[in-house]
Amino acid sequence: MKKFIGIILLLVMLGTLSAGCLGPDEGESTPTPTPTPTETETPEEKILYVAAMKPADMMAQFESGDIDGFIAWEPYNAEVVVNGNGKYLIQSGEVWNNHPCCVLASSDDFKDETALKALVWAHVQATRFMNDPANEDKTLKYAVEFTNKDEDVVEEAISNIEFTEYPDVEEIRTYYRKLDENEFLKKTLADLDYQSEDEFFSDFLLSTYYDEVAANLTEDPEWKPDPVPNSTVVRIGYLTADLHQVAIYVAQKEGFYEEVGLIPGENLNIMPPYSNGPAVMEAFKNKDIDVSYLGGAPATLKRINDDTPIHVISGANNVGSAIVVGKDSGIDTIEDLAGKTIAIPGFGTVQDFIVRIVAENAGLEVQLR
Amino acid sequence: MKSTSSEEKIIKKRRLSIDTQSPLLRIFSIVAFLMGWYFIGVLNLAELPTPIETLEMFYTLIVSGEPILGRTLQTHTTASLIRVIEGSAIGFAVALPLGILMGWSKRFERFADTMIEIFRPIPPLAWIPLAFVLFRSFDNTRILVQIFIVFIGAFFPAVLNTIHGVKSIDSSYIESARTFGSSDLQILEKVVLPGAMPSIITGIRIGLGIGWMCVVAAEMIGGSASGIGFFIWSMYELGGGTAEIISGMIAIGAVGYIMNEGILYTERRLIKWR
Repeated sequence: MKKFIGIILLLVMLGTLSAGCLGPDEGESTPTPTPTPTETETPEEKILYVAAMKPADMMAQFESGDIDGFIAWEPYNAEVVVNGNGKYLIQSGEVWNNHPCCVLASSDDFKDETALKALVWAHVQATRFMNDPANEDKTLKYAVEFTNKDEDVVEEAISNIEFTEYPDVEEIRTYYRKLDENEFLKKTLADLDYQSEDEFFSDFLLSTYYDEVAANLTEDPEWKPDPVPNSTVVRIGYLTADLHQVAIYVAQKEGFYEEVGLIPGENLNIMPPYSNGPAVMEAFKNKDIDVSYLGGAPATLKRINDDTPIHVISGANNVGSAIVVGKDSGIDTIEDLAGKTIAIPGFGTVQDFIVRIVAENAGLEVQLR
Repeated sequence: MKSTSSEEKIIKKRRLSIDTQSPLLRIFSIVAFLMGWYFIGVLNLAELPTPIETLEMFYTLIVSGEPILGRTLQTHTTASLIRVIEGSAIGFAVALPLGILMGWSKRFERFADTMIEIFRPIPPLAWIPLAFVLFRSFDNTRILVQIFIVFIGAFFPAVLNTIHGVKSIDSSYIESARTFGSSDLQILEKVVLPGAMPSIITGIRIGLGIGWMCVVAAEMIGGSASGIGFFIWSMYELGGGTAEIISGMIAIGAVGYIMNEGILYTERRLIKWR
């Protein structure tokens, strides 16, 4: 039996040995006098912890009490408020007025003006359709089908979203500056061969198609761009059950695409939904898609960091995210977030910055959980 | 005179040819690899940072850390390593007694063998979704899931090698011990365990290696918030962080290598008869 005890001892030894393997790795760092900003000692009551995860994981971890709250896009926030034990702490619009969210972007390789104008037109028509109070019931029905969530959840979620035709250019620039300040950008605009911020933004935020469509529609509400020939194939992407992007579904159901010659399944190839913005940007990079709905955050971040050439040709929505916390959690103000963990959908997302602004306003320091 | 010159020739020849034991071969392989990498980067065959840029990044990540996640490379590595040690220690604690029992008793082997062979081909990562469901009611689901995945990864090599070690003991040793009147317990202690030891340690070594691979992969999925896999994945999602990604991979490789060599060293020290 001594030998068996020996094995167990060996196991312990191996444990300590492998722990010892850290030695050389860690040894180099321990004497360094400058710890990273977040590793300095901050009292627990001054910290707001964040964890990055998929919205579906947020829901599960919120229910299990693993996280104290989360911020995602709709309809996830509304779902825990309507069906679960969540309550809104603060709407993202209250934190960052008119902040950009989802956009419609096109690949730089896709330069077919007829098709781009047609896509923008269909998007504008769908957005105006949804914003028309007369279509409230139909919009709700489409949104329920698109997200596959309960009707009362979707109704609540829609009321938090502001569907838009083109994003607020100034706010996208604000977002860019926040990325820059927080060291998210691995490349400078000069690395991408832009002389100035203005030059970059006039190329990245390509509003010419939208401006033309909007101007024509103001003159004649019945105006339609030239139909897309059957030979031009457009591959369009969108995210899974993201209520912000319901326009793509409304445009199909209301026949806006067909009116301009884009026949779904024929020359309009609707790709299977992507799980997040970075995946869409990867698809752009691999030339798998020509246009796509996606978050303005990954669009900007990866446009710069990975130099994936895309243009924002339309907006999809502004605001429409919220910090949700437990109903009985005792968290009633943003100051109560001290020592709590809030989940975000990813670092560098608009939601990430909303949490950072909230923390700053509450005098808290953001740390990774 | 003539003889010395021919002697010199022989010596010269000897100097040019590389001895199989020479560390030069190892150095050459590293240099060749780095040069290949360097040219791929410089000739823009792929979007790769050069080895020097990567090394600089590796150094920065260790000394001052990465600003967005606010942690150093070794903090991430330690987090992963702790999980591997926890997961594989549990794995070995189950695998070793089970393996010895299975190697010892034919009946028990037949009983347990089927289940092990059915579960063995399931990749550890395929357990992740089920693990999330299983550990849902616990407080720290994520970490438990990752430890569990390491457990799965470390368990099978350990149990199979233990069985093999016990079974490969020459039955004449056991017979003769029995003839001298040893009890089962004594045979287990004096014959089976020492005989199976080399194989058991091999199982532990492979198990730890697979556990280390599993933890990195598990950290890339499922709402992780720390660890080297999480670090690499976050850098990928942010974009433009190829040097950070490769630095993370270097850390994984280095720790895996040190772990393997460490166990080999321990094995040589512990089992002197081999």
